[in-house]
Amino acid sequence: MDWLFRRLLGALALALACTLVLAGIGALVGSPVLGAALGAMLATGVLVLRDSVKASRLMAWMRVAQGTAPRDTGLWGELAYRIERAFVAGEKRVVEERQRLEQFLAAIEASPNGVMMLDANEQMLWCNRVAAEHFGLDPEGDRLQRLTNLVRSPTFVAYLQSGRYDEGATVPGPLGRTTLSVLLRDYGNGQKLLLSQDITERERNEAMRRDFVANVSHEIRTPLTVLSGFVETLAQLKLSEPERQRVLQLMAQQTTRMQSLVADLLTLATLEGSPRPTADRWHSVSTLLERAKADAIALSAGRHELRVSAENDAQIAGSDSELLSAIANLLNNAVRYTPAGGRIDVNWSRRDDGSARLDVCDSGVGIAREHLPRLTERFYRVDGSRSRDTGGTGLGLSIVKHIVQRHGGSIEIRSEPGVGSTFTLHLPAIRVRTLNASRGADAPVEV
Amino acid sequence: MSDKHLSTQFDTELAAISNRVLEMGGLVEMQVGQALHALTNFSADAADEVLRQEERVNQMEVDIDRELSAIIARRQPTARDLRLLIAISKAIANLERVGDEAARIARTVGRLIKAGIPTKLPLADLDFEANLAIAQLRKALDALARLDTARALEVLKQDDLIDQEFDGLLRKLITYMMEDPRTISACIDIVFVAKAIERVGDHAKNLAEATIYVVKGTDVRHASVADVENVVR
Repeated sequence: MDWLFRRLLGALALALACTLVLAGIGALVGSPVLGAALGAMLATGVLVLRDSVKASRLMAWMRVAQGTAPRDTGLWGELAYRIERAFVAGEKRVVEERQRLEQFLAAIEASPNGVMMLDANEQMLWCNRVAAEHFGLDPEGDRLQRLTNLVRSPTFVAYLQSGRYDEGATVPGPLGRTTLSVLLRDYGNGQKLLLSQDITERERNEAMRRDFVANVSHEIRTPLTVLSGFVETLAQLKLSEPERQRVLQLMAQQTTRMQSLVADLLTLATLEGSPRPTADRWHSVSTLLERAKADAIALSAGRHELRVSAENDAQIAGSDSELLSAIANLLNNAVRYTPAGGRIDVNWSRRDDGSARLDVCDSGVGIAREHLPRLTERFYRVDGSRSRDTGGTGLGLSIVKHIVQRHGGSIEIRSEPGVGSTFTLHLPAIRVRTLNASRGADAPVEV
Repeated sequence: MSDKHLSTQFDTELAAISNRVLEMGGLVEMQVGQALHALTNFSADAADEVLRQEERVNQMEVDIDRELSAIIARRQPTARDLRLLIAISKAIANLERVGDEAARIARTVGRLIKAGIPTKLPLADLDFEANLAIAQLRKALDALARLDTARALEVLKQDDLIDQEFDGLLRKLITYMMEDPRTISACIDIVFVAKAIERVGDHAKNLAEATIYVVKGTDVRHASVADVENVVR
């Protein structure tokens, strides 16, 4: 309040001084009253002028709202100071609010799910990046665009307009390659929150599981049907001894087929259920190859030329039974799909980076390009009838792929129809070594 | 199609009819996708679904056209608003025809299933052509929703790809037919399917041309790609 006193005192002092001085001067020329009046007017004028100047400076600064406030003493100085402080405090609050908002948005952006806000007219107010990807939207450019103009799937539109959001809905993503699970929630004033999740992988796995069960059932039912037919035949018909023997032989074939299938299924289940083989049990590559070769020669019965080459000292780490199974599988496939007189080459080699490859090349019938990506799928067959006749279960390559992946490697298939195929197993450097090089450092344990 | 001027009753009507057109677009997109699914999986169910929707698509064309005439009579729009309404009229005609093509594909699939499916059909190529056409349709509808002439131009440029695919497919089918005359009936059906897909691509192109017309005021039908590029820039 002392600024008020000072102001009043100052104004009073100035008025008094001007009046007295000009009254005095007026007295000298004979009209002191006029002089006093002039003095009062002068004082008022000066005071108004001074205030106006200071006020206009303050006003100018406030209009621009930039830079520092004009410094002054007294009323105007304090006014300017307080206004400036209020501005600064206000801005600080805005900055803090904006930071908080940004933290919220960053948290929502980090969500693996899509989050979108819609207003009462179904227009998009805001969406995070994941939602933009799910629906093919432009988070900036598509603001205030009616969502159903861009996300046009009739399933989605029906769900959005139904107003009933207790459950979510499954809608196809843009371009039809993805499947999304979508959930809507009402909030605020007719606004809606849209949550989306990419369930393509989940749906694919479900579909694969369903297919697998269907395939297994079919594969088992077929020989069972044949078998039960034969059983009925034996029970009801009087057969001659050779006929009976023939029927029993056919029944044996079917049971063998089912046994192979069950054995392969169990192998797959075991492979999936057990931990990966450790890399500390080493086995000789040439021993494994010789054993697989023996099986293949028996299967080939002299119809093919079989050649196996590997360094004597090459070793591989892992499970010998699994590796043998994988190699034998590839060799037996080569034998089955190469016509008589054909040639099968098995070659083990190391690369510069230490990794190794096992190539099984045959001069067989080859595989058409469209089948190559699906060859290692369970029950996938290029030619169903032929594969079953030669005793195939449809699971062989799937098992090989599992085994090589459990040993840190991969399988590669190249083929040309009418010329032949090459199946390659790639194995990582930590799983292979040459005996000579490691002698002394770590004595190998031959198991 | 959000616009910058103040929301009036007329704007609401324009927004509503634009939304209905795009809703029709979504329905037709689904039909084409279903028809393709029916073809690649030989699914009679999917084919039936397509045919069930045909009635609804036709009804939407009639309804939207009626609403269109009502708006023009009521509001007597000019300039861009009038062009938008004209473009909408063209769009729904094209979309209805896309629906017809999808129905045609579905009926062919039904016929093929009844006749017994031949084992060797170049379905992978059909699948590829169809996915191109579906992508074009989606792009054209997106461009219409956003009034995005750049995307519309892309649709125009990529139309040739579909035509090339169709030509390639035709050649392949001819060799199939020459190799084994028993497949001629099925192959001819496939030719019609491929042609239907190619026409879907053409309708998408028409939608893109309509979008450019709305934004630039220039009718770019039957213009060369270079000319259209000049218009869009």
